[in-house]
Amino acid sequence: MSTPTHDVVVVGAGVAGAVMAKHLTDAGLRVLMLEAGPGTPQTLDGYEHHLNTFYEASAKGPESAWPTAPQVPQPDTADLRFNDGYFVQRGPQLYGSSYSRLQGGSTLHWLGVSLRMLPEDFDMGSRFGVGRDWPLRYDDLEPFYRKAELDLGVSADVADQQYHGITFADGYDFPMSRVPMSYADQWLADAVGDLEVPIGTESVPIQVRSYPAARNSMPRPGYGPVGALDRRGDGQVRPGLIGERCQGNTSCTPICPVQAKYNAGRTLAQIDPGHLEVRAQAVASKINVDPTDGMVTGITYQRYDGSSYVEEVAIGRRYVLAAHAVENAKIMLMSGLTGPNDMVGANLMDHPTLYAWGLAPEPVYPFRGPLSTAGVEDLRGGPFRSTHAAFRFDVANDGWRAPTGAPDTTVTGEVDQGHFGADLRRRLATTLTRQVRLSLAVEQLPDPANRISLDWRFLDPLGNPRPAINYRIDEYTLAGMVEAKRVAGAMFSRAGIEDRSDDDVQKWFPTIEHQGQVFSYHGMGHFAGTHMMGDDARTSVVDHSQRSWDHQNLYLIGSGSFPTMGTSNPTLTIAALAVRTAETLAAELGDLSAGRVGANVRSTDR
Amino acid sequence: MSDTSTNNDTTAKTDDTTSTTAITTIEALHEYLGRAMQLEHATIPPYLTALYSLHPQTNSAANQVLRVVAVEEMLHLTSVANLMNAVGGQVDLTAPGFVPEFPTYLPDGEEDFQVNLACFSPATLETFLKIERPAAAPDEARRLMPARRRTDIMVTAPGDPELRYYSIGEFYAEIERGFNYLHDRHGDQLFSGDPTHQAGPEYYYSGGGELRRVVDIDSARSSIELIIGQGEGVGTGAFDAENELAHYYRFEQLKLGRYYQLGDEPHHPTGPDCEVDWSAVYPTQTNPRVGDLSGFPELQETAVSFNRFYADFLALLTKAFNGEPELLIEAVPKMFEIRNKATVLIRNPIPGSSATHSAADPTPDGPMHAAPTFEMESQ
Repeated sequence: MSTPTHDVVVVGAGVAGAVMAKHLTDAGLRVLMLEAGPGTPQTLDGYEHHLNTFYEASAKGPESAWPTAPQVPQPDTADLRFNDGYFVQRGPQLYGSSYSRLQGGSTLHWLGVSLRMLPEDFDMGSRFGVGRDWPLRYDDLEPFYRKAELDLGVSADVADQQYHGITFADGYDFPMSRVPMSYADQWLADAVGDLEVPIGTESVPIQVRSYPAARNSMPRPGYGPVGALDRRGDGQVRPGLIGERCQGNTSCTPICPVQAKYNAGRTLAQIDPGHLEVRAQAVASKINVDPTDGMVTGITYQRYDGSSYVEEVAIGRRYVLAAHAVENAKIMLMSGLTGPNDMVGANLMDHPTLYAWGLAPEPVYPFRGPLSTAGVEDLRGGPFRSTHAAFRFDVANDGWRAPTGAPDTTVTGEVDQGHFGADLRRRLATTLTRQVRLSLAVEQLPDPANRISLDWRFLDPLGNPRPAINYRIDEYTLAGMVEAKRVAGAMFSRAGIEDRSDDDVQKWFPTIEHQGQVFSYHGMGHFAGTHMMGDDARTSVVDHSQRSWDHQNLYLIGSGSFPTMGTSNPTLTIAALAVRTAETLAAELGDLSAGRVGANVRSTDR
Repeated sequence: MSDTSTNNDTTAKTDDTTSTTAITTIEALHEYLGRAMQLEHATIPPYLTALYSLHPQTNSAANQVLRVVAVEEMLHLTSVANLMNAVGGQVDLTAPGFVPEFPTYLPDGEEDFQVNLACFSPATLETFLKIERPAAAPDEARRLMPARRRTDIMVTAPGDPELRYYSIGEFYAEIERGFNYLHDRHGDQLFSGDPTHQAGPEYYYSGGGELRRVVDIDSARSSIELIIGQGEGVGTGAFDAENELAHYYRFEQLKLGRYYQLGDEPHHPTGPDCEVDWSAVYPTQTNPRVGDLSGFPELQETAVSFNRFYADFLALLTKAFNGEPELLIEAVPKMFEIRNKATVLIRNPIPGSSATHSAADPTPDGPMHAAPTFEMESQ
């Protein structure tokens, strides 16, 4: 057996891998990071290049600023138009989400929403008789949520965030105060007033509420916001002296022009280069396992450049797959590692999302500020979850851009109707200023039939199979969609907003019918569940530390470990779990170095 | 006056603080600080004009340098306001003459340059280097220089218009001596200002250094030293204690075409190339006046509206520095608006005008572009 070159080999330079590497290297461990995609620059100029790529792109989709290399194809939001993208979609429904394969991962173009999960999200099985329980409780994760909020730089006020049983440590508040709510948010909050909606047996008050975001805002004492970082040719990292506050540029997705929004590259830039080696353009293709004891002996990766690649093997004392819920499963399956009951790749989830949009009775002035600054969180939890899915809304600050392509399409629409000149300007001023839009993101439960598998008929340029997806949206989620639509309708009606939601506008969105209602849905980019954690090695892939039951020196981290996903976007929970696993790993490797644990690690928990 | 003869304080002090000072009364200190605010502000219109004259998406090096330096001048302005408020003075950015008429002199040893409102060019960069150049007086006797000019000089020694300081750094050194002297005399009574008027660190960002509340002699000294250090560097080095490059050396990178890296000697950067595209600049009218635009009502109205907006902005800052620091948050979107309004002027050529530059000047020829005039109505 070859000698390890590093303490830990981490596959994937996204948020999970970066946070993991940060905490491992802080503990003095040496980390090798393999990134399938190209490296992203850690200089101000390099970032600006991506900014210009975005400015020059004719279609401003989430991936437009972040092209990857042809060797490592990635899903694209627009693939859904013709279903001809990276995923081999086997139905019955189309899986609507995408992600990015390059250094920094999907946080390069995320919105920055950093919600904690609800305490009840961890006990879905025992509380509501649906889904399953996590091997962790909210209280187990709370200290790590705080650490993740510090790592990502989250802006929020605890006073806004104590709902549905979410608790915070005594005296704690977020690193930065909340990003101010937009005028449109405040207008909607006022217009909705004391609206209560009946749901199940309850009547629930609806509140437009600021949500935690990993975008820089006014710091609380003792915290210095981290904006752009500039790693020069000499290896020195200096503050870029920009991005210490959000400027409301309204392009969080696909790229924050000033780097006020967190991306995983920021964490990577803060790691001591003496302890971290990032190898980009290195596609992990096989996990080599000792058949006698299941221990991983190395990870084979393809290092490509131009049209050729070489195979190399990375050897560490421990191995961490942090490549994304889909890619983690893909690497495992390519290595013939299927987990108990073929659970690797199974239970794929998302937050299938609907749009609701309308015209406010007066100007609310969208197209200003971060893409969104508030949400409706009141229906993320409640007794109704025993019968249908929970949901949350984002309140948009960008009018109808997402569903209809406004403001451009608003202009062409008016011109097509024969309006021009002063008349056109007047009409635009009265329409664009009144556009309101909500995103209705609906919970999905784990279902073993929803899964990632490999399709060896479709290979990428390196000869690796593309992921195939079996995906079905079940009655539980569909019933949640019905309720989400109803609540959005009640809000519109109370606020005097004329509902202009029109499924015909979103022709290329996948649709699903339920009790005579047709829903056009899209994905939220919230992949989860492909290597879920549990208490029992027979019914889960990893334990509560995200350690593989079958391969004791292998960890699979990220939202793939989530047994259920509730309604929060997964990033903050991914980061909190990564910190927790990193601390476990660092303690274990520290103990090993000190000779206190020795070989016992091989037989733990089996 | 000899400091030692009146000094009953036994606190250990540097040589500097035991030397003579022209600032022996709190009223004199207020006057000096008033001049200091005027001085800090005076650099901002030229820096912003140069910054906004850069073509968009070009010249990222010049853009970063000019933006950071301008932002740090805003820090200095606010730091001086904190100093003024700490010692019970009045801050007023709306006073007649607070905004200079350009071209204007700034105090430096030779009085060899004036500061223009001009587009980014090699000549403009030379001026900026002169503004920020490290300049310690050769000896104590020459700390104060005879003022050769009586007009347009922004920093003469208050009380004696015949004398002026060798450099901005020396001017601030005088203020620090004044603080030390008066603190020796009055103790902490010197800091009689309302502490709620102080603008705290949460209000400052996008530049180096930190905004400090001034409540005692230590915070007063560190605020002054930050201003001196950021502008010219400390001692003979290019970097300050926080490894931040002083303004002079930031500008020098653009001139030399190379970035500094830690450990470099002054004037000898060894970092990566620092590229400047001198032609990717709107050739704006130098020291423009609203009156020059009389034939072009739309441009003129835009220039007037800019000045009105800027005057309102200074009034807002004045309110913020007089007990409502939270108004600095409101000032942020207004600064973006200043940028947007300046940009509207700078992207517009003045019809029928032409700018021809010497062969040595890479600024593009063609029609001159409009630019904000920074003429305040009170003047």
